[in-house]
Amino acid sequence: MAAAESPSAALRRRDLCSRGIRLAGKMRADVVDLLDAYVEQQGLDASASVAAVEGVPLAAVERWDEQTGTQRLLENLAAYRAFRALLAQMLEEQREQLGEADTGLGRALAAVLLQVSAFAYHLEELLRLESRGIPGEEGDEEEEEDGPPPPPRLSLFEQKLRGLGVLRELAQWAVRSVRDLRQLAKPSPATGAAPGLAESS
Amino acid sequence: MFSRWNWVACAFYLVLSICSPDASSGLVQSCGHIIPESPVLALGSNFTALCILNESCLDFGNIYASQIIWKIKNRLVPKEQYREINRTVSSVTFNDTSSLATPLTCNILADGQIEQNIYGITVTVGLAPEKPKNLSCIVHQESRFTYAMTCTWNPGRHTFLDTQFRLRYRWPEQIFPDCIPKDVNNSCTIDDSQFFVNTEIWVEATNALGKAVSDPLVVDPIDIVKPLPPQNVSVTSGLLPTVLQLVWENWISDAVMTLKFNIRYRIVGDTNWMEVPPEDTASPRTSFSIQGLRPYTEYVFSIRCMKEDGVGYWSDWSEEKTGITIEDQPSKGPPIWRIIDTSQSPACWTVHLIWKALKPYEANGVILQYELTVRDKSSLSSPVKKYNVTSTNYTLQLREGTYEVTLIARNSVGPSPPSVLLIPASNSKAPVKNLRTLPKHDKLWVGWTAPNNYVLKYVIEWCLMSSSSDCIIEWQIVLGDVQGIDLKGIKPFKCYLITVYPLYADGQGSGQSVKAYLKQDRPSKGPTVQTKKVGKAEAVLTWNHLTVEEQNGFIRNYTILYKTIDGNETVVTVDPSKTEYTLSSLTSDTLYTVRMMASTDNGSRTGPDFTFTTQKFGKGEIEAIVVPVCLAFLLIVLLGVLFCFNKRDLIKKHIWPIVPDPSKSNIAQWSPQVPAKHNISSKDQMYPEGSFTDVSVVEIEADDKKSFSEQDLKPFDLLKKEKSTSEGHSSGIGGSSCMSSPRQSVSDSDEGETTQNTSSTVQYSTVVLNGYRDQTPVQVFSRSESTQPLLDSEERSEDHAGGADSTPQRQQYFRQNGGQDETNTDRPCFERTKQITHANEGDLVGFVQLQISGQSSQPLGLGMEKNTQEAAVSNVLQTCTEGQTVRAETVEENPLSVDEMPKSYLPQTVRQGGYMPQ
Repeated sequence: MAAAESPSAALRRRDLCSRGIRLAGKMRADVVDLLDAYVEQQGLDASASVAAVEGVPLAAVERWDEQTGTQRLLENLAAYRAFRALLAQMLEEQREQLGEADTGLGRALAAVLLQVSAFAYHLEELLRLESRGIPGEEGDEEEEEDGPPPPPRLSLFEQKLRGLGVLRELAQWAVRSVRDLRQLAKPSPATGAAPGLAESS
Repeated sequence: MFSRWNWVACAFYLVLSICSPDASSGLVQSCGHIIPESPVLALGSNFTALCILNESCLDFGNIYASQIIWKIKNRLVPKEQYREINRTVSSVTFNDTSSLATPLTCNILADGQIEQNIYGITVTVGLAPEKPKNLSCIVHQESRFTYAMTCTWNPGRHTFLDTQFRLRYRWPEQIFPDCIPKDVNNSCTIDDSQFFVNTEIWVEATNALGKAVSDPLVVDPIDIVKPLPPQNVSVTSGLLPTVLQLVWENWISDAVMTLKFNIRYRIVGDTNWMEVPPEDTASPRTSFSIQGLRPYTEYVFSIRCMKEDGVGYWSDWSEEKTGITIEDQPSKGPPIWRIIDTSQSPACWTVHLIWKALKPYEANGVILQYELTVRDKSSLSSPVKKYNVTSTNYTLQLREGTYEVTLIARNSVGPSPPSVLLIPASNSKAPVKNLRTLPKHDKLWVGWTAPNNYVLKYVIEWCLMSSSSDCIIEWQIVLGDVQGIDLKGIKPFKCYLITVYPLYADGQGSGQSVKAYLKQDRPSKGPTVQTKKVGKAEAVLTWNHLTVEEQNGFIRNYTILYKTIDGNETVVTVDPSKTEYTLSSLTSDTLYTVRMMASTDNGSRTGPDFTFTTQKFGKGEIEAIVVPVCLAFLLIVLLGVLFCFNKRDLIKKHIWPIVPDPSKSNIAQWSPQVPAKHNISSKDQMYPEGSFTDVSVVEIEADDKKSFSEQDLKPFDLLKKEKSTSEGHSSGIGGSSCMSSPRQSVSDSDEGETTQNTSSTVQYSTVVLNGYRDQTPVQVFSRSESTQPLLDSEERSEDHAGGADSTPQRQQYFRQNGGQDETNTDRPCFERTKQITHANEGDLVGFVQLQISGQSSQPLGLGMEKNTQEAAVSNVLQTCTEGQTVRAETVEENPLSVDEMPKSYLPQTVRQGGYMPQ
């Protein structure tokens, strides 16, 4: 992967990694702040335990250090695409519940949504640099069409709890993403693909 | 006929078609239209419009394209720009749209005369938008979590059209909503900018003539952030007196970006900022310790931040916070100086020790007290005296000698190094040379040349000179290697006295002084001049010096300006040290106006006018005239007196003719009664009535009988004797011993006027040289009123003695005149008068009064009195004669005697007036 990498591509990769790390860091900070605001706004208990959100891969993974770069990128991309959809849904529900009046929380959600989108873009770019095909979201759509029916409409409280779960998971993913990108940003000893392959193997 | 109706119908149709607001949908259609409809044209381009007539109008109104005319507003478009395309279409072409205006109308000349409008369009001329340039963006941090990106650009030229600008930005796979500027066309703000993704930003400008797009700006917004400055800045002092710690909060999280900082600080009251080296604060932090500060000094701090890598913008400076360092012990001793007052006694000094409070950076805290130590160096046995002082001066009474004064300032931390001042017994060492001053803006530079010996320090004293108060001394100590300092706080237009003393290791040099101004101005008032003395051609002017406050500079000279009312002004320049000047060559008796001007280097000021008039005569001129005149007058008087004195006899002769003394008449000698002169009681016997033949006797009776005592009369008798002796040979004098005057005698004779002139007509009686009986013959001149020869007189005396009938008349005669002859001590006459008085008292009343007046009373008249007094006092002998004369005159003026005229001699004279009865 890296053997065919031109200097400009290497720079681009490094740059993308760097930005991705900082973006993930900022996203984590913003999500933490948003969590506080969300809990307060929605009248939830910050210590309430929430079940895993459906559709979002868990940030915690076994044998994380054995993952290849591509694998990391793909998992990250899948996760952030899921977050993007969930956050958009949350934003929509937020607007439905509170209208345009609550601009603070809505704006913060929109900002996080943008960051998630931006981070997904970073991941796609990195995958492109690694000459890997970017999994399309069509599959998801197909899945939506062909797969299980859309989840039943949740109650308001369930929506709030799900939102809390999404944000918490996103905060964890932000931490993991930083670590993943730092791992990717490390200069490869021989070939860029080797560690990845080694890790994946 | 038909054609006429046709024409009318056509005109009506045209009117309807023009007036119809909506020709297309209305009943009446327009006869034509213009293509293009309401075009928007680029300025400067060419433009062609077509006017197309409807076929229906052609047939109905005989209207053709050849009849079309074009107008811009009301201005006809030249026909050269028309072109008839066919019978229904006419075009007009404009090579430059800048000549176009709205509306552009297509008109037709119906019947060659009537102009009818067919159609009109609105033409809009403008420019296509230019490509926006210089697009730049900055992200302002508005709060802890919000960042707004503001982009600005240059919109280009004015298009004259409604042009819309849009700021557009996007990520590679996401396009954001456009940012449309409000009210402006060169900037727009995006509220929710997202970091860490390269964002493509560009501007689109669009109007009716086109669209222009700026070059895209691709930037990660995190690289163009201007963060908020650090918040909640606080300053705390540490353990060290030179260190303060600054603590703050950053309002941007490290997750967004890490920061670097600038810290600046200054001393309170100072305007110059100092800055902590940037490399010391180039890493993220929330506190910093500033070192190298002054102890016990209040500082102001401020801080700013930016992205650590230096990409982006510096924040604004934070709010200022102050902090104060802790105290330290004073870094140096206070400068000390002294003023020695020896006015009481040269051997006993009053020493005023003065020192300056340490500057804050030297005191390093609050000075609690000064410790003063005085040691007498001339006497080793004298104890060292110590004083604790809280003020900055101390006065000592010391004997003349050499002393060493040590001063220490102490604060809460500790003492300062000592300052030592040597007070020598005399200041006889070498002074500085070439002391000079030079103004430098608001400072006065004082320079000097060092003496040859090594100087430890210099003391510079200066004080503001004042005429109303003492010179308050300010001073400064500088090191010995300095040969000039700038004096601060010097006021312009004020005179300063500056003195420099060199201090040697073993003594002190004498002071050198100079007066100086920082800046000079013209005097605030002019001198008031007045005259001290004014002469005929000169005047001494005097004036007072201006006070030092009024001078405003060095008075270089005085100028006296003087003139007459109509004359030219004369100018005289006077040395400034003088207060008096003499104007000379003035015109006498002339009014002069004089004023005086004082001049400094920077101007002059004139005092009030003073006028004076020169004198008509010079000094001594009057004296030169008066004194000679007086002297001449005196000389003339003297000469006159001398002349009179020399000619006194002649004058006397003229004024006071020599009247023979009757007592010295020979008659007295030959008269039998002569011896009886010495025996008053026998006077009657001396002059027996029979011995007088024709003698007039005037008897004067005094009011105060006592005044005619015998004692008074004795000397008179003696004089009479002498006189008679000496004048015994005088000729032509005779008559009665009581005769007052020849005239009276003559009048007595009643012989007419010719006999009144004695010298010419009076003939005198016989002079008898032989004594009578045993007595010494006395020359008696008895004036005779007779003009007969003396022999006749003798004969007549005999007759007289025998004639008894004439006696009463004679007695009365004597009585009336006897009073006048008192001084003659002619006692017989007198006593006879008394007797007669009893007989004829009424006739005598007026006469007695006359006597009183004539002898001793004023009211009778000055002329008479004068004569009387002269006769009575100065010359007794003459008095008799004079008295007779005067009284004769007086009597002549007595009107009361008119009744007695026939009976006596007196009434004749009284009748002429002068005497007033009392």
